[in-house]
Amino acid sequence: MNRLGRWRGALTVGVAVAAALVLGAILLAATGANPLEAAGAIVTGAFGPDGIQDTLAYAVPVAGMATALAIPLRAGLVNLGGEGQLVLGAISAVAVGLHVPGPLGLVAALVAGMLAGGLYAAAAALCETRLGVPLLVTTLLLSYPAMSLAAYLVRFPMRDQGSSLPQSAQLPPDVRLPALAGNGLTVGLFLIVAAVAVYAVVDARTPAGFEARVTGWGPRFAQYAGIDRPRTTLRLLACSGGLAGLVGAIVVLGFPYRFIDGALITPQYTWIGLLAALLAAASPLGTLVAALFFAALTSGGFAMERETQVPRELTAVLQAVLIIFLAATTGLLRRRRSAA
Amino acid sequence: MTQPAVQLTGIVKRFGELLANDHVDLTVARGEIHALMGENGAGKSTLMSILYGLLRPDAGTIALDGEPVVFDSAARAIAAGIGMVQQGFALFDSMPVVDNVIYGAEPTRRGLLDRRAATAAVSELVERHGLRLAPTDRVGDLPIGVRQQVEILKLLYRRARVLILDEPTAVLTPAETEQLFTVLRDLAADGHTVLLVTHKLHEVTAVSDTVTVLRDGKVTMTGPTSATGRAELASAMTGREVDLDRVYPAGQPGAEALTVTGLTVDGRAAGRPAVDDVSLSVRAGEIVGIAGVAGNGQTELVAAIAGLLPARGSVTVGERELSGLGVARRRAAGLAHIPEDRAEVGAAPGARLTDNLATGFHRRPPLLRKGFLRSGAMRTHAERIIERFGVRAPGPSAPMRTLSGGNQQKAILGRELTHEAPVLLVEQPTRGVDIGAVVGIHTELIAYRDAGHAVLLVSAELSEVLGLADRVLVMYEGRVVAEFPKTEADPHAIGLAMAGGAPRGVAGGTAEDSAGGAAGGVAGAAGGDEADVVGDATGHASENMAGDTAGDTTGDAAEDSGGGAA
Repeated sequence: MNRLGRWRGALTVGVAVAAALVLGAILLAATGANPLEAAGAIVTGAFGPDGIQDTLAYAVPVAGMATALAIPLRAGLVNLGGEGQLVLGAISAVAVGLHVPGPLGLVAALVAGMLAGGLYAAAAALCETRLGVPLLVTTLLLSYPAMSLAAYLVRFPMRDQGSSLPQSAQLPPDVRLPALAGNGLTVGLFLIVAAVAVYAVVDARTPAGFEARVTGWGPRFAQYAGIDRPRTTLRLLACSGGLAGLVGAIVVLGFPYRFIDGALITPQYTWIGLLAALLAAASPLGTLVAALFFAALTSGGFAMERETQVPRELTAVLQAVLIIFLAATTGLLRRRRSAA
Repeated sequence: MTQPAVQLTGIVKRFGELLANDHVDLTVARGEIHALMGENGAGKSTLMSILYGLLRPDAGTIALDGEPVVFDSAARAIAAGIGMVQQGFALFDSMPVVDNVIYGAEPTRRGLLDRRAATAAVSELVERHGLRLAPTDRVGDLPIGVRQQVEILKLLYRRARVLILDEPTAVLTPAETEQLFTVLRDLAADGHTVLLVTHKLHEVTAVSDTVTVLRDGKVTMTGPTSATGRAELASAMTGREVDLDRVYPAGQPGAEALTVTGLTVDGRAAGRPAVDDVSLSVRAGEIVGIAGVAGNGQTELVAAIAGLLPARGSVTVGERELSGLGVARRRAAGLAHIPEDRAEVGAAPGARLTDNLATGFHRRPPLLRKGFLRSGAMRTHAERIIERFGVRAPGPSAPMRTLSGGNQQKAILGRELTHEAPVLLVEQPTRGVDIGAVVGIHTELIAYRDAGHAVLLVSAELSEVLGLADRVLVMYEGRVVAEFPKTEADPHAIGLAMAGGAPRGVAGGTAEDSAGGAAGGVAGAAGGDEADVVGDATGHASENMAGDTAGDTTGDAAEDSGGGAA
């Protein structure tokens, strides 16, 4: 019965994607573009021999953030402060990387990024568990001072002296993640893959992951069963922020090897990641698949703009249509599962 | 010959494999109260949903006053004069009664809400049906029983002539139930037709004119209630003779397993605590039952013992002092708990049965080995409980909510009993559970006691407390006001204590400390007009019943302790 449900789920998602694509094609045609040509450009742009590298480079931070935000979401906790944790992790990694030389510096930078993001998210969790301020509020609001702090740091104390841009100095060559391609794709890819794998195993096979899921099913049931909600909240947020911080560190330890103000915010890693996690109900593999899909669509969109002169905004529209269709159908699925 | 108000003929409804209604015929005369009985899952709700237009039958016809009708939505059914009060209320707590009643069918004048007409219409209905509420009351301030009357008002306002009430008494106190029945009789006398869905025998005999019993989707019995015996109804429901109101033999208590001393829980409103200086003990091999009208602190008492509510005072299990510990530590010290609220607290309805049954066992072997959960062991664990406690479920992977209420309760019971904890807290073990399952659950609790465990039982069903408990404590306004050994527990004396007058012969120092004044007072009152005190106090005027009676009727005895109680 369960298997049947899963098949039906996959089918529904497939139908939703197809419907969204048809609607997208109509929109494309309405602007005078050839939908088939545009779609072809998106696919080759995303998965073609040149495109695949860009897709992967973009997918690494998106999948990382998606997983980071999925971790507390599994227990029904929403971390809206991903951007702050991401940026804080990145600026901390650069600060450490610029001062600790050699391979040790690389490791130290990664650890610093993780610690900074993790501690910052833990602070938001403590605000809820100790002071009673809702997590949604604390995570989101603490995000802004973190971004502002990083912006200040790269404009004044940490500013690259040789440039007029708000960016840090470049990291020395031995404090860089080995590149897999020239576009910023580094071995950080493997770190994110490992993080997703760890999340999947912890979620499915450990008491801690089980307790997070129980909390997500019903907070009162979890409390009744003896699960300590404040401690669960603190742990999950620390892990979430830690992974977000790690993503930040991975991004700045790749090309162009420095912290540039806004570079982690403009590509919308956090929000696309959050969407992916929400759509997949925070399931580890589902989140990964959704994140990869969105990354492919975005990077394919750039290619489409280059190849066919169809404005990239249309892929944003296409993406929005897709998200709405998927959200609607996965929402339906959830209700059907509950009614069954 | 007049046409029946409602006539369902040959209704068939199939959900996949399950035949929920199998050629059901139901005839309801105008102006009668018709009880529709059956165990959980017998097809009552399906049948009523079909009548109310929420479901479409696979076969069969519906006729109202002899006219065939087809409902493809509840809106059509409402327009045809059918109204239904569902189990959960759909009310806006922060709004007054009027707004709740007219919502969705507002009277207007020149396109604007005509508040005066609305209030007048609602007042008229309230008056005509003798309801005890004011249209301007805020719904959130009303007791549950009165909120239900607001739901009924909604139907009457929409000119419903056929009223369906789905398990209306599940949330009501005995007094509120009695009030509801008065309202229903009045409505029937007024020409309304009432369909009462229930699985409680005494309600059927108390209020209905006619009764129809469903079992496994089929009608097994129908006829005038007055000509039908309770045993006959019970066997029509369950298909076997049921031992009703059975009193189980007493246990053999050993050493004290649970000791509560001076437990106090703050109330929601400032001033009066929800649990007020309660002391009690439960010995191994003993069931202590707590009787009381709902809302007198029983829920909070159990929550405080379980560690779910902060409290002052001391709780010990065996030799271990629990105060200050969290839920997990208390459970580890030897507490298991079957909570009142199955869906929200006792289980995760959306999760698989396996996961529901694994919760609480997930941090130790055999489910946990070398830090990892073993899915095979989780499944075996679930299968064992399902088998051992006779939980009817499609399989361990079925979501909890697909099980009937009785089977959910059996699963929770099985999970908690499997802990083999020395102390079991159990609340409303058979609320909303069909009769067949009730006997099974009672037998399990008795067996658990006989195996040498201590059980603290809270139940709103007096017959359940009387049948199971070796000792009965009565709670009133947060205090334990009376204590009866099994041999002396009679419904009358307990009912009196539940209503705020403690009887003579209070045993145990603790009860005397807190209820001495009230006890003395009622000893006097009880001699005079005992029945009156019960009747009145179980009605609404129960505030400070004990204090008042004490002050009025006793002399010196009430001076020191009774004054404090009042």
